[in-house]
Amino acid sequence: MKHVLWMAVFASLTAVVFGVVAKGNTRHRLLYGLKVFAEFLLIALVLGWLLYFLPFR
Amino acid sequence: MIAKQLEKTSRPEALRTAWLIGVAAWAVPGAGHLLLKRWPRALLLGFAVWAMFLTGLWLGGHLFMVASMDQGMSALLQLLPMIANVGSGLLYIVCWLTNTGFAENAQGLTYEYGNTFLLVAGLLNYLAMLDAFDIAAGRKE
Repeated sequence: MKHVLWMAVFASLTAVVFGVVAKGNTRHRLLYGLKVFAEFLLIALVLGWLLYFLPFR
Repeated sequence: MIAKQLEKTSRPEALRTAWLIGVAAWAVPGAGHLLLKRWPRALLLGFAVWAMFLTGLWLGGHLFMVASMDQGMSALLQLLPMIANVGSGLLYIVCWLTNTGFAENAQGLTYEYGNTFLLVAGLLNYLAMLDAFDIAAGRKE
């Protein structure tokens, strides 16, 4: 569970910076930050499950 | 509009200020936007980079440095991660002066997490630095 926690901390801090330096108004930046955060978590979970089944035995 | 931006950027005093703000943004995460009086951005960027760097150290991460060429050219493998770490500015320099975070604790459970946090803290600060430079140079709102 700690791994997921650190992954979420990493994703949130990175998403904050990406959101702040993005172009557009505040609403666009907020949405972009949230999108980056969600993408980080989703991709990590998908990769985690894929690697769970590899290597095939 | 582009011509106006180029004219604004090419003014020598504006460019000098932009470079100084870029250096300040590199040295202290968040300081560039603070000097530009962009308080919310400064607080968010400063918090994110400082938190990421300190969390990386706390997790037992390791800062990179090209120390010696004892092992031949393989020492250059440290160069790219060192460039990423140096992005944290004075945080890296203070750690270097106090010899903090340069020891390798590869047996630690969160060692790789710490490394990643430290590397990305520097890279994110480069991004914040470029953002501050662009705002100071009039290329961005």
